[in-house]
Amino acid sequence: MPHPLANEWHAADGIHIDVRGLSPPEPMVAILTLLEHPDTNDRVFVHHDREPVFLYPELAERGWHHQIVAGEPGEVRLLLTRQE
Amino acid sequence: MTLAARFLGGAKSRLLPASIPFRYFTAAVSFHVLAWLVLFAAADELPGFIGGPGNVLAAIHLLTLGVLVMTAMGAAFQLLPVATRRPLAQTWPARVSFWLLTPGILMLTYSMAIGHETAMIVGGIGVVVGLVVFAVVVADNLRRARDMPIVGAHGWGAVVSLAGFAGLGLALIANFSSGFLPDHQSASIAHMILAGFGFMGLLAFGFSHVLIPMFALSHTLPPHLGWTEFWLAFAACGLATAAALTDNPIGLAVAAVMGLCASAVYVWLMNTALKTGMRKRLGLSFVLVKSSWVALMICLALGLAIVLGVPIPNGATLFGFVLLAGWLLTFLTGILQRIMPFLASMHVAGAGGKPVMLSELTAENPLKVHAGCHVGAVTLCSLGIIANSGMLVRFGAALGLTGALAFAVFTFLIVNRLR
Repeated sequence: MPHPLANEWHAADGIHIDVRGLSPPEPMVAILTLLEHPDTNDRVFVHHDREPVFLYPELAERGWHHQIVAGEPGEVRLLLTRQE
Repeated sequence: MTLAARFLGGAKSRLLPASIPFRYFTAAVSFHVLAWLVLFAAADELPGFIGGPGNVLAAIHLLTLGVLVMTAMGAAFQLLPVATRRPLAQTWPARVSFWLLTPGILMLTYSMAIGHETAMIVGGIGVVVGLVVFAVVVADNLRRARDMPIVGAHGWGAVVSLAGFAGLGLALIANFSSGFLPDHQSASIAHMILAGFGFMGLLAFGFSHVLIPMFALSHTLPPHLGWTEFWLAFAACGLATAAALTDNPIGLAVAAVMGLCASAVYVWLMNTALKTGMRKRLGLSFVLVKSSWVALMICLALGLAIVLGVPIPNGATLFGFVLLAGWLLTFLTGILQRIMPFLASMHVAGAGGKPVMLSELTAENPLKVHAGCHVGAVTLCSLGIIANSGMLVRFGAALGLTGALAFAVFTFLIVNRLR
């Protein structure tokens, strides 16, 4: 079930989730909810308004790798990929 | 540098160098050992303690300033910029504050133990200046903050309380020889209320609004209840301080009831986060955190009973012990054993290395020893205070010391991974 406050959509390059404007810890909850969904594939793009430093230990614990990629001005965009 | 890169630079800077929070945490863990050691030596004096220089006063301040304040400062310097989205203007004040506080606490507590008033004043001034630097940093960050107003309100409340307890603390030291205060005992109680409930309590409540939902992975808590909790707690601290200074038992009783209401709202909010969060298995740390909430309610109920005249043997000492060791120390060691691996993991990953899993950084066995010993220590020392038994307090302090050493091993293993 998608997070009620986050915007999610599918694109050719993977699933996208926009958590901008949400108060902590809603972004983390939304992202982890998406990652734990069985239909989520191996590439997820996160559109954030800050670098989610508290998310990284949770990603590592779940076997996901994070990488900051180019985004819009004022946006922090992360590409999350499942680790081998 | 692109706009996005500049933004990222700003975002990154909210994560301080690991050496800043961890210097506070390792100092807190060291003072933790020292506090139980001094209490072990002063076990016979604890049940009948009514204030004044000596080993018990030293142990109390090793615990409050050394463990509780150091932990809160390390956490605040790191977590506040992330919570408020405002990086610290400068990181050097966090280092300066540490180097003022650490020798200040050592000098203050040693001089309390031996009853050397001049050294107490010098150590006390070092501590107060260190705390003022901390307060200025926090106030500057809160002033620029736009997010998380409930956390910010608790932060402001803590800063106001800090000014009060630090000023009263210096006045109490000077009063040992000059006797200028009209009532030393009333000022001591006000100092304890402002430090224990106002400064540490409000910081613990405030950071809980961020940390507990984050650890439980729950949704944001209802803000109207967060505000209710804050105003009740803040007003209770103000009323209790005024009532203590004017020796007004009715005011103290009303403040205790308000504090109980604030705590009930707080505990209900936190339990809601735990029940609704994605993470159901929160481990040993949350056994301690939940135990600390029970101790908080017991402490306030004890306070109410004492001001209503219920005869509880050594009631005032028991109240202070449950406040400091039962509520605050239990809560902070529970939280600290989660945030230290969490921060360490972020720093290792942030350095570009392979991400380290939290489970790899958490040594379970020392934590199990600590939890068992800590709960045993609080229970035995409380019983020792009620039964007026130095022997029970000594057994309790020995358990507390064992637990503190186990916690130090846990911390050492984490710090070792950071190198």
